[in-house]
Amino acid sequence: MMNLLSDVWFQVIRGLRTQFRMKIFILMNIVQPVIWLLLFPQIFKSLSSMPEIGGSYLNYLAPGIVVMTVLFGSAWAGMGMLHLIDMGILSKILATPVTRVSIIISNVVASMVVLVMQAIIIFIIAVIRGLDIATGVPGVLLSLVIVMLLGLGFAAFSNGLALLFKRAEPLMGVINFVAMPTMFLSSIMMPPELLPGWLDTVRQFNPVDYAVVGVRGLVLEGYVWSDLWLSLVILAAWAAAGITFGTLMFRARAE
Amino acid sequence: MSIIETHQLTKVFPGDVRAVDGIDFEVKAGEIFGFLGPNGAGKTTTIKVLNTLIKPTSGTATVAGYDVVKNPAEVRKCIGYVAQDVGVDEYSTGRENLTLYGHFYRLDGRTIRERVKELFELVDLTGFEDKMVSTYSGGMRKRLDLAMGLIHYPKVIFLDEPTVGLDPQTRSHIWDYIRNLVKAMGITIFLTTHYMEEADSLAGRIAIIDLGKIVATGTPDELKQAIGGDVVTLSPRVTGEGERQESMKRIQSALSGKPFVLGMQATDGELAVYVNRGESAVPGIMRLLSGEGIDIETISMSRPTLDDVFLKYTGRTIRAQEGTRTTYAQIQRKRMRKQQ
Repeated sequence: MMNLLSDVWFQVIRGLRTQFRMKIFILMNIVQPVIWLLLFPQIFKSLSSMPEIGGSYLNYLAPGIVVMTVLFGSAWAGMGMLHLIDMGILSKILATPVTRVSIIISNVVASMVVLVMQAIIIFIIAVIRGLDIATGVPGVLLSLVIVMLLGLGFAAFSNGLALLFKRAEPLMGVINFVAMPTMFLSSIMMPPELLPGWLDTVRQFNPVDYAVVGVRGLVLEGYVWSDLWLSLVILAAWAAAGITFGTLMFRARAE
Repeated sequence: MSIIETHQLTKVFPGDVRAVDGIDFEVKAGEIFGFLGPNGAGKTTTIKVLNTLIKPTSGTATVAGYDVVKNPAEVRKCIGYVAQDVGVDEYSTGRENLTLYGHFYRLDGRTIRERVKELFELVDLTGFEDKMVSTYSGGMRKRLDLAMGLIHYPKVIFLDEPTVGLDPQTRSHIWDYIRNLVKAMGITIFLTTHYMEEADSLAGRIAIIDLGKIVATGTPDELKQAIGGDVVTLSPRVTGEGERQESMKRIQSALSGKPFVLGMQATDGELAVYVNRGESAVPGIMRLLSGEGIDIETISMSRPTLDDVFLKYTGRTIRAQEGTRTTYAQIQRKRMRKQQ
């Protein structure tokens, strides 16, 4: 266990160090959600007048942008694993006594750290722009737990697929195929009341939606425990499914 | 004492590809053991089995006394692995790369610091510890890669095609570092290569592997002696392919059974004749063939090389099937990645 923790720790440090050295990566990861946050309310300005939105589209959208950022960030996490495979680093690591699962865990954890930081930045900017978070700092922390569960699932699935395909093209295909629809088939952009009936049904099978509903509840309304528990349970199951898939794929790869 | 031992080691990949087909060999502690064969012969598969990266289909292998299937964790502690692909992280410094591996082997911070200093000296990279690997040249990366395989003072280090894709000058430098390792650390080296010169210049003992099977084992000298004294290589003067084959047949039947001929091996347009004393054999062969009315285009004499050994045991030259395709594709891939 101590070995596992230390292996994860050193690999997470390596992963983060590598990412933070890429200035453009950092810049893009901060700038992009900020642009969404400032741009979308302009595009969807006319929605602000809808009673379902409740006055400010930015307030409505901010939780959605947090979830969206985590969704896209974690869905691409498998590219990191692909890099390890491609450069022959994975084989080299596997020939050392390193705890096997630490390799995939650290990759997922490193993605999570970056995503949580992004989420915090988005919250801060939204607050500056006038968002009043109903549940305050504890609510933000709980929101982070929610999006982390969502991200864990996606990052683990993405890693598993990277290990399954071992190539960039199919992985990128699947990520694009999944990430976009899961975003639109949720209430990230639109209140459920404004969605057509079939979409409202589909979103109930979409883990992304449970994250949005959970975070938005915390930000706009307060502790709606019935919704929160549902979100937490479904997302925990989602994360568990992802981790199981990722670990199985990893075992298959490492024999 | 043998530090690596295999018994009927076999690895069959899906599609009934027998990459390694029942091989037996032994590596003694402290020697450089060369695994020589063309690309696709089963060298890398053997290394991966010994490194616990893949499980054998059947047969057994022990490394440092531990079975690779039953006790992979112990094997991993004893080995260093320098793969064909330079598995260094470009976006970290040399020191960071080395330190991470030190942690994987559960070394404490102080030991790691000491060894980083020592290993950078050994591979002649002192001064580059804190430079990003992306600024290293190909040869420097390979040397860092070597150092990473040594951080825990392994008993055995596996070098899979250590100089593939490097220019000749860098290659001979890497050879020096490898020889140094044996001197400085008394380490056992298991080396695969498809370069004859590499096996010849580095390895104390060689196993020749072809199509998953070991076809010969011995010291380079033993293997060469098994061929005979000298090799006379000749080619007939011909105008077309049909005539070439005709002439080759005639030459072979003219020479076969002659007391000074120890053996013959034909390849694309050339015939290698193994003889005891080349100096006297050449005029003899010339006389014999002109008596038969066969015109000779070229004739040359040389001491046998491992090339000839390989030819003798497999019926092919290693160059003829040196499928540079894979290696070339790998280099291409790396280049493209760098440009992106």
